[in-house]
Order: sequence, then structure tokens, then C-alpha cells
Amino acid sequence: MSSPTQREEDLFDEARKLTDPDECRTFLERACGGDVALRRRVEDLLTAELDAEQFFTESGTVVHEHGIPLPGASIGADDRRRNLPGEEPLGTKIGRYKLLEKIGEGGCGVVYLAEQEEPVRRRVALKIIKLGMETKSVIARFEAERQALAMMDHPNIARVFDAGATDRGPPYFVMELVRGVKLTTYCDQHRLGIGQRLDLFVQICHAIQHAHQKGIIHGDIKPSNVMVALQDGVPVPKVIDFGISKATEARLTDKNLFTTYAQLIGTPAYMSPEQAEMGGVDIDTRSDIYSLGVLLYELLTGRTPFEPKALLEAGLDEMRRMLREREPARPSSRLQALPAAELTKTAEFREAEPDRLVSLVRGDLDWIVMKALEKDRRRRYETANGLALDVQRHLNNEPVAARPPSWTYRTQKLVRRNRVVVTAGAAVVAALVAGFGTSTWLFFKEREARPRAVAAEQQQAGLRHEAEMREKITQAALLVSLERFEEADGLLNEILIKKPTVEGAAVFRAVGEWHAIHGRWKAAADRFARLLQINQLDGADACTLDGLKQGPALVELGDAVAYERFRQDLIGRFNVTPCPFPDRVVKISVLLPADEKTVASLAPLAELTARSMAEAEGAGEVFQAAWRAMSLALLEYRRGNFAKAIELSQRCLAFPEYNAPRVATAHLILAMADRQLGRNHEALAEWNGAREIFESKIKPREDRGTPMQGFWFDWIFARILLREATALIEQPPAPAR
Amino acid sequence: MSEITQVLGEISRGDKASEELLPLVYDELRRHASARMAREAAGQTLQPTALVHEAWLRVFGDGGRTWENRGHFFGAAAEAMRRILIEKARSKARLKHGGNQVRLDIEQLELAETTPEEKVLLIDDALEKLQQQDPEKARVVVLKFFGGLTNEQVAESVGVTVRTVERHWAYAKAWLFQSIRAQQ
Repeated sequence: MSSPTQREEDLFDEARKLTDPDECRTFLERACGGDVALRRRVEDLLTAELDAEQFFTESGTVVHEHGIPLPGASIGADDRRRNLPGEEPLGTKIGRYKLLEKIGEGGCGVVYLAEQEEPVRRRVALKIIKLGMETKSVIARFEAERQALAMMDHPNIARVFDAGATDRGPPYFVMELVRGVKLTTYCDQHRLGIGQRLDLFVQICHAIQHAHQKGIIHGDIKPSNVMVALQDGVPVPKVIDFGISKATEARLTDKNLFTTYAQLIGTPAYMSPEQAEMGGVDIDTRSDIYSLGVLLYELLTGRTPFEPKALLEAGLDEMRRMLREREPARPSSRLQALPAAELTKTAEFREAEPDRLVSLVRGDLDWIVMKALEKDRRRRYETANGLALDVQRHLNNEPVAARPPSWTYRTQKLVRRNRVVVTAGAAVVAALVAGFGTSTWLFFKEREARPRAVAAEQQQAGLRHEAEMREKITQAALLVSLERFEEADGLLNEILIKKPTVEGAAVFRAVGEWHAIHGRWKAAADRFARLLQINQLDGADACTLDGLKQGPALVELGDAVAYERFRQDLIGRFNVTPCPFPDRVVKISVLLPADEKTVASLAPLAELTARSMAEAEGAGEVFQAAWRAMSLALLEYRRGNFAKAIELSQRCLAFPEYNAPRVATAHLILAMADRQLGRNHEALAEWNGAREIFESKIKPREDRGTPMQGFWFDWIFARILLREATALIEQPPAPAR
Repeated sequence: MSEITQVLGEISRGDKASEELLPLVYDELRRHASARMAREAAGQTLQPTALVHEAWLRVFGDGGRTWENRGHFFGAAAEAMRRILIEKARSKARLKHGGNQVRLDIEQLELAETTPEEKVLLIDDALEKLQQQDPEKARVVVLKFFGGLTNEQVAESVGVTVRTVERHWAYAKAWLFQSIRAQQ
């Protein structure tokens, strides 16, 4: 490599302006004369120029301003702007498309109105990506999804037709032309009330659901990707940019961090925590659910859960931490925390008085949004449909799934609900689109595209399968909320899930209880068994309660083997995990007599129970203390410590808190212990006391047909002990010890 | 005299603390930084704001320096950005190559497949050679490639015409690329 000289630079500068190769050769021959080495060097430099350009910049050479759309500001004949990546002169033909008008500009691309001449003459939107991206891989990624994208057919989705590379390099996408306004802008301009906003939102959810069923994740749901256009005077939302986020991988991955970060102003605010994580490869449909949650949050409050500015200023690591850990304010709290003037303005945009707006949002809508925004995606709505259904339930004054149903809440809703026949049935019938069987990859002839296509196909198939499962869970959840258990039960056979899921667990629980209440123990035990596989997300309270249901179900079914396995599993599980309800595990594990080994293995849990009983007693929590005393009494009885069992039962009964099945159970333990000690008279009295409680109380309460049957399992527990006690008492008296 | 130049004068005379300059130049520095990043250089966990802050610390960290004018100042900032980017790229490349290799094993690199941080290192290596032979062009590269300055700003900083900057930049890119390729 020789030293660069002024002469060399001059020649290079002159020669590079000559476009005709012959002319260029002639020029160099004449200029260099006999200096062959010089001529050679300049020629080499000229050859290197194109590659060098690419090497240095990948996308464009000119420093550019970016970020905020500049409507109208671009048409000036500014030479510099023309060199911007993504900018093309009007009239240029790109592939089959002729650029007619620039209609928008965002952080990552410029959108043109373009005309397609063949095979059909139509107007389309053509988006040129201006981020520095490797065009080849963008297009390859797009090709891999093209088949699936083509399968999307939904009135609220703008179709994606085509992708390719412009002559100058950057990739472009061709979409259905949507002449509309950004979602949030439309809502504010037209002062849409909360109800109208929710109607639009439900339609958006349906569009996303449709895509998910085709195995397509949007990946970049935000207001600017939802346009509202008037069709026959009715506002119709259209989701645009499907497939583009995936193809351009516009995520905060390590690789494209620099190229995207600065330009994606506003977008991190819509990103799910898992998307914001480094190398967020494990993205599924539930990431879109999160973004829908952000969208809903914004529709209600005019703000995103986290301020985009704060996120950007926090820096990347801190931003990730915020998205991962910080709990955003509920929409209603967020509104309340606004300065008065801002709240008034926000309310005006929603045609509501400030106080009214806060109260509209508080409650159902708070819960719905927060459920969609769960950090742990397993706690979110399973499907976009599930989210939409909950919003619809709210609109219909029906109980929403986002809140654990309490009796007062449900009846409140019942009273308020119009007696209109709920059309939700129609939603249930909403056809499940079967996955398409054709192998996508057959369409790809290029060898190198094949592995990618196969991977995409597998991923889409996986997503479709998951989407189907989630859809079924959503449907079953809806049926349960409508108290149509039989239909819900029918669906459960098709739901093959092993992973923990909150919504799924709730369905299995409700259906299991429905079977239990009707005495169908086999079905109940089966549902509960599957519930215990997927209920890990529900917390120790729900998990141990689920155990309290499965135990009696198995005993009533008469399956001693299954019960034995169940209790061993349960003891194993809670002997290692700390559990705030050790008494429940103890109690359910000694419902039937147990061998010495099993009883011994309960020692640590028994000790915890004794301690927590003392604590509860000290804290005046007589309810908890009484249950714990009962558990220990039964355990002592199983251990053969009858005197201890009697003492604990009496302690249980002494607490000033009456719970019929527990009191009955305590009497039964007393009866059995007395009997074992030969105190037959006392035993009979206790037994009769228990019988009385049963006769007055145990009646199946099916009047409401709801799954919330109170504590049926406590009654069944007591009934099982009643059988044991009765058999013991009816035995010929043993000689007193 | 621009406000920045004026404040720079006051700083060098000790009349003002350097922090007072930051608000004046922050936006501009940040624009350079994000332009620098937008153009390429993926793969580093830096962001424009962080780059600006680090560059700021470097520029004022070694104290005692004086700045004649705005162009001079941005030149120093560009140099600081270059050093930061190189350090980050080195540590990244080190991590990637097993912890003990500071320099890249160029033999094993296919030019088309170099990662952005490898690219930064390759360019910087070649730039050292250019620096020895033609400091003015090397300076243009630092300002353009690492500093993210516009041609006008480079011209102001180096004290040449915009046209010369364009010529230098075009020539230097081809020259550097040639040099990098010749290494392989």
C-alpha cells in the first residue's frame, strides 16, 4: 500500500465522476501517462469504492435527523434529504410500483402512496425501511413468513402484499393502502367516549387474534400501527405493518441495538418485558397481548404505562429493569394522580367529567388492563380474544374474568346486567380456523431459504397449536362464566396443556368443582388431577386448597391407590417448598388412616402447623387457629396419641368461631378418640353431636348452579370421617384399656 | 462569535466551569452520537446519551486543555467518541475471542461477515496507517465516521472547504477499505 498522494486523490476524484467505463479508462491512461503503478492504484481504489461505501455505512452515508414524523416538511427540493435512506424521488419505479406521493414518515421508514400496474392496477402503500439493515436477510425473513401473511384475511388487518429491495439497497414492503388516522389521534379528535373506544379496541383484539391463529405475531402493536378509517361513516380500525416487525427484527436485540434504539422513540413504551430483554428470541403471542394492554391503557388514560421519555432516558439496562420489575399505576390511579388541568383535558377528549372518567375506569377496566400487562406472560390473558371478551363482558355489565369472583361482585353484576340474551354464545362458536396443512417450505425453491422457511413453518405451527389451545381455554373460561359447565367440560378434553396457566387452572378448577358438587367423583378427580399439574402460578393458597378438593374426590371415588399417590406427592411437594398453609397439607394427608412412615414424614409440616397455630392464636386469628388445631388433632389421632387428639379437638371447639364442617369434624375426632380409649358413652355423645350438624346442614346447594359452592370439600372431608367414626362406634366395644 | 466559542474561551480562562458548556452542546453532541450509531456500529451496549456522557468526561476529564472554537471542541468530542467506541469494541471482541486476544485475528475474518464491532476495530487499525501518511484525511474520517459530524461541521473543524471534505471522505473510505482488504 503506497502513501496516498495529492495526485492520487485528484485522479480518483475526477475518475469516479465518470460513469462510462471506457471514458474512465481513457482518462486514466492519459492522466497517468507512463506511471503504471499510479494508474493501478487509482483503478484499485475505484473498484473498492462501492464495497467501501457499503462497508462503512451499510445503509446510507448521510447523517440524518430522525424519529418524529415530518408531515409535509419533506417535499422541498433539499438535496441532502434526497440522499436520506428511504427517500426516493416521486415518480420513481420500485419493482412494479410507481411512487406517487409521500404519505408518512416514521422512525424506521418512509411511506409512499404508490401505484401498482400489474397484474392489477391498484394503489398501495409502500414503506421503505430506512434503518440500517441488511436487506437480504430482511427479505429472507419476510419470504419465510409470506405464506402465512397471505393467509390473513380480516377486515381489521391491512394486508401485506410484497417485499423487495429498492435499487439503492434498503428493503421495502407493500401493503394495502389505508387512508386513515392514527388510532389515538382519531379517538381524541372525535372525542370518543370510553365505550366507543372500547368498541374499537375489541375489533383490534379480534384482528390480532386472527393473526395469531395464522401463526403470525405482530410484534409492534402501537397506536401508529393502528389506523382508523371511515367506512360508510363507521370508524374501522386497521392494524398495519404485520410481518414487518418480524422481518426487520425491530427489537432491542444486541445486534441491532444501535441501529434501532435511537430511532424507536416511543416504541419501548409498548414493548413487553420479554421483548425488551436482550436477544428476546422467545417471543410468542402473549407479547402482543401485553402491547394490547398498553394500547388499552393509552386509550383510557391518554398515557402509556411508562413514560416513553423516562424509558429512553433511563438507559437500556434500567429500561429493561423497569419493564421487568416496576408495576405501573392502575389506569384509574394514574388518572387521579394527574394535575387537575391535565385530567380535565384528558376527560374532555373522552367526553366525560373528570370524576366520572376516573370512576368509569376504576374497577373492571383497571383489572383488565393490569391482567394484560402482567410481567409474567403466563398470568396474562391467554388470547387476544380472551381480552376482547373481558372488555365485552364489562360493556355488558357482566363479571370480568380479570378479577377473582367474589360473591358480592358477581351479584352486583347480576343486578346491573340487562336481561338481554347474551350474544356471547356466538363468540364461542367463532370458528377455529384449522391450521393450513400445506407445507410452506415447498414454495421456496432457493436452497438457502429452505432452512429458514422450515424453521418458520415449525414456529408457525407451534404458535398455531398454542393459539388453538389458548383459544379453547378462553372459550372454556367464557362458558364457565356463563355457567355452562357441560360445554366447558367438553372442551377440556381437547385442552392438552402441561404448562402452568392461570386461566387454564381456573377452568379446570371450576369444572372439577361442578363435577364434585354433582357427586361425579371420577370426572372431578380427573379434572383436579390436571388442575394440580397447571396450578403452580396460583400461589400457595389456591394450590393447597386445590389439594383439599382432590383428596376428598379420590376418597369418594374409592380409589385408595390414587389417594395414596396423591398424598405422597403432596407431602413431597410441600416438604421442600415453604408453605403458608401446612395445616391443609397435614389434614388432607391423614384423611384416611396412614402408615407409620407417612405419618412420620409429616413431622416437619406438623411442627410448622403447631407454630403457625400459636402465631394465629397470638394474633387473634381464631379462624386460622381453629383449623390448625383440627388438623393437628386428626394427626395425633392417626399417630395413636388419643389423649392429645382429644385435647386438641377440644381446643379447636373452644375457639369462638363457628364453622359447621369443622365443628362436626372436631366432634368426630373426639368420638373416635374417646372410643379408642374405651369411653364409649362420651364417644356416642360426640358422634351424635356431629350427626346433628350434618342433618341440619349438609344439603347440596345447587340452587344457584354456580361453581362457587363455598366449602363443599370441607363437608365431604367431614362426611368421610363420619363414615369412619360410624364404623368404629358400631363395632362391638373393645375392652377398656 | 458563537455562544459556544465564547463559553469555551471563558472556560479556558478559568472564568467558567466546564459544566456550563454542557447544556449548550448537549443536544448537538447527542445528535452526533445518535447519528454515529444510527449509521452503523451495532453490537455495543452503548446508547447515544451514554456516549455523550462518556465523551464529555473524556473531553473535560484531562483538564488544562483549551478550545479555540466550536469546531475544535467538536473535534475533541469526536476523538473521545472514537476512543470510547474502540474500547467497547475491543472489550467485546476480547470476550468473543476467549478473553486473551486483544487484536482480532484478521486471517479468520471474512470481510463481508465481520460484526460491527470487528468492523470498528478494522477501520481503526487502517486509520492508524492513514494517520501516519495523511493526517488531514485521517482527521476527516475520525470526525465523519466516529464523530458523526456533517460535512459542513467537518469543514469548520478542520478548516477546509466542504468540497474538500467530500473528496477526502470518498478517497479515505476507498483507501481504508483497500488497506483492510489487503490485510486479509
